[in-house]
Amino acid sequence: MKQQVNRLQPFFENVSFDRDDNHMVVNFGPQHPSAHGQLRLILELEGEEVIKATPDVGYLHRGMEKMGENMMYNEFLPTTDRMDYIASTSNNHSFALAVEKLINVEAPRRAKIIRVMLLEINRIISHLFWIATHALDVGAMTIFLYAFREREFVMDLMEDYCGARLTHSAIRIGGVPQDLPEGFIESMDKFIKQFPIDIKDYEDLLDKNRIWKMRLEDVGVIDQEMAQSWGVSGPALRATGFQWDLRKESPYEVYDEIDFDVPFTDSCDSFGRYKLYMNEMRQSIKIMAQCIPLYEASEAGVMAHAPEYISASKEEIMTQNYALMQHFVLVTQGMRPPVGEVYSATESPKGELGFYINSQGDPYPYRLKVRAPSFWHTGLLQDLLPGHQLADVVTIIGNLNIVFGEIDR
Amino acid sequence: MAQHKVNYAAEGGLPVVLTTVDKLVQWGRSNSVWALTYGLACCAIEMMAAGASRYDFDRFGTIFRASPRQADIMVVAGTLTKKHAEFIRRLYDQMAEPKWVISMGSCANTGGMFNTYATVQGVDRIIPVDIYLPGCAPRPETLQFALMMLQKQIRRESAFRALKPKRLV
Amino acid sequence: MREYKPKGDVQAKAYYSDRFWVAPQLPTFSVDSDEIFAEQSKKINENFEVIKEYIQTGHLVVEVKAEDNKDAVAFFKDELGYNFLMEIAAVDFLEKRGVFEIVYEMLSTTTKKRARIKCCLRENQALESVNDHFRMADWSEREMYDLSGVKINNHPYLKRIIMPDDWQGHPLRKDYPMIGDEAAQWYEVDKIFGKEYRDVIGPENRDQARVDRFDTQRYSKIKHEVPKGAEFSDTKTDFGDYQEKDGVFLVTKLKKEDSVQLKERR
Ligand code: SF4
Repeated sequence: MKQQVNRLQPFFENVSFDRDDNHMVVNFGPQHPSAHGQLRLILELEGEEVIKATPDVGYLHRGMEKMGENMMYNEFLPTTDRMDYIASTSNNHSFALAVEKLINVEAPRRAKIIRVMLLEINRIISHLFWIATHALDVGAMTIFLYAFREREFVMDLMEDYCGARLTHSAIRIGGVPQDLPEGFIESMDKFIKQFPIDIKDYEDLLDKNRIWKMRLEDVGVIDQEMAQSWGVSGPALRATGFQWDLRKESPYEVYDEIDFDVPFTDSCDSFGRYKLYMNEMRQSIKIMAQCIPLYEASEAGVMAHAPEYISASKEEIMTQNYALMQHFVLVTQGMRPPVGEVYSATESPKGELGFYINSQGDPYPYRLKVRAPSFWHTGLLQDLLPGHQLADVVTIIGNLNIVFGEIDR
Repeated sequence: MAQHKVNYAAEGGLPVVLTTVDKLVQWGRSNSVWALTYGLACCAIEMMAAGASRYDFDRFGTIFRASPRQADIMVVAGTLTKKHAEFIRRLYDQMAEPKWVISMGSCANTGGMFNTYATVQGVDRIIPVDIYLPGCAPRPETLQFALMMLQKQIRRESAFRALKPKRLV
Repeated sequence: MREYKPKGDVQAKAYYSDRFWVAPQLPTFSVDSDEIFAEQSKKINENFEVIKEYIQTGHLVVEVKAEDNKDAVAFFKDELGYNFLMEIAAVDFLEKRGVFEIVYEMLSTTTKKRARIKCCLRENQALESVNDHFRMADWSEREMYDLSGVKINNHPYLKRIIMPDDWQGHPLRKDYPMIGDEAAQWYEVDKIFGKEYRDVIGPENRDQARVDRFDTQRYSKIKHEVPKGAEFSDTKTDFGDYQEKDGVFLVTKLKKEDSVQLKERR
């Protein structure tokens, strides 16, 4: 059979001049290299200035919420990886935490410490990726190569722990799958020592760079009112002078025992956000360093004991009859959490990542809604872009750190 | 640290000067396959990693281009959704012949883990695919290996064959 | 006779439930158990007709009438200091109770408390948009309209946001199957090639356990894969090296002896 001629009509909506008000309509995306995924923007321009922006999302809608309703809780966990795929562990964690709240199980202490380590590693991966791609969009190629180099080293840490580079599933409901592998602490320690020097490198390249400053300063100003109205969270919120970080305000895991600062600024613009990201990476390093002694002082055991909901450890399953039966039931029928609703929010690298689970006592969630921070950061573009130059559009999109896996879900 | 041992082929061979024009043309083509950045989802991140520092795609002569007019291969990296399907076909049609397609990741191959209403169950329903690359997400090494296999395939083809449209599905 | 399958809710169900199974409830507490919430609840009761109120997992949950939703959100924002609206979700209870449950998740950064406003919406009832108080509702409500089919009144731009404009049905309703209805399954073929080509391209393969006669087997032995059913033999299938045997002009070929494995990262 020959290839079929398709019936797609030529596309003239890319640029249209046939308007009488001298405005030009430009279509941007959905497959644009600096749209950070599949964002489609329809921009109305007057000269170089954007006067109306209409973001169109949904090009990566994979039906994850529907999958959530059709999968058992444990089955769904790997799917959460693919939401914010740059920092997948933070999604796993947020989901696991929501389910743990629902079934009222608490992870053992060692698991909590490992979780914090992994979360901070993921924060660094995500922030490095952000600075790399953002700088590339703005025109600084060197940073891209540098940041990707260090990112590979952080990914190695993650790979040592769970074997995957991108889709980790490194946190399970009720704990973490395994203890830290041999040599992990040493390599992490080495990384902790090395990384501040690397951050300094980026800052040396960017902080006083004229082009970088010109393109970021006073571009994309989000003020506090706008941020509250749009439900902005994460670094974008902290750049408006709001010192709000869920790790501090409603601590989960062991964040309350750890001493770290929440960097914030009231510059509201892209440059302020860039400085925030840099400082957040430093704080992450600080948190990771503090986790090492905590980890060494903690008792072994990484999975909670709750036979009704969580399978026993592999050794027990292999040796004890009842554990094996329980495991079989949990795998084939799934856990049945209580009836109720739970909304649990965590501070992912992008902002407040929340899971709303409505359970009717079945092995399948009745409704699972993901509160993905990027969704509203994209919606914000309609209010933020008008008034900016066309060239700033790319800066702003890059600066907001949006990831389409979690916008469209 | 994890060791990234890339086990490239064992036997080496002497470079032989190729004589026919045909081979020369294909040799040129195979060593400058420019890829269209078609990052759709998670796999795109691995595709970027393949282009960045540690893995360095440029040494194969593969440079990512943003325009379909300048590209020879399309690396479909990620989940193709029904809403997007139309655009992949458009961009494929805009690429100049000869062109090849690598489908990267389970999602692009078969829809992967997303057996839902919104995902296309394999890009080969829309465009013809030359190389399927398994994994979720495939490592950058896998993508590079796929590219080398494609290069080999290009060298084997005849340069001046009549440009028959490829079979779909 | 074919088995009767209910059409109202086609989502996955537990295939076996014990006859005596009674699902436990997530504990709820009365609003008086928390000082701040008790005070807020008093104010809410003065202004609205509250159908239910309780505290669950640390959230104040207040159920109001569907007509009051906009006023309630405004009241929470202006009077009670809940300055963030975090999430709006619609839960489809059409099959069970004939309603949508609409959930507003609110957060107060001053008291560090979270509250959830709920309201039950009948199927053909329209919801008032809260876009005037929180701009984020613009997108949330569009999403709700798109995926659940909840109609919104006074929304600035009510249009599908996630699914394409010519999509049929609302995917997050319980009567919508996960793999989609017929229109969904042929969507891309119809759009790109036209309906006539359905036969040519063929139906989607949605069976995860499908075995293809021509699939290869024995993945563990690379380069020894054989088609399904064929004899396993040790004759090498030539999948080839990454380069031709005698190399390629001007392209170096890696020799195995020359490769080095690093002990430590550099
Ligand atoms: S194959 Fe896996 S990693 Fe790749 S796009 Fe699909 S879900 Fe993401």
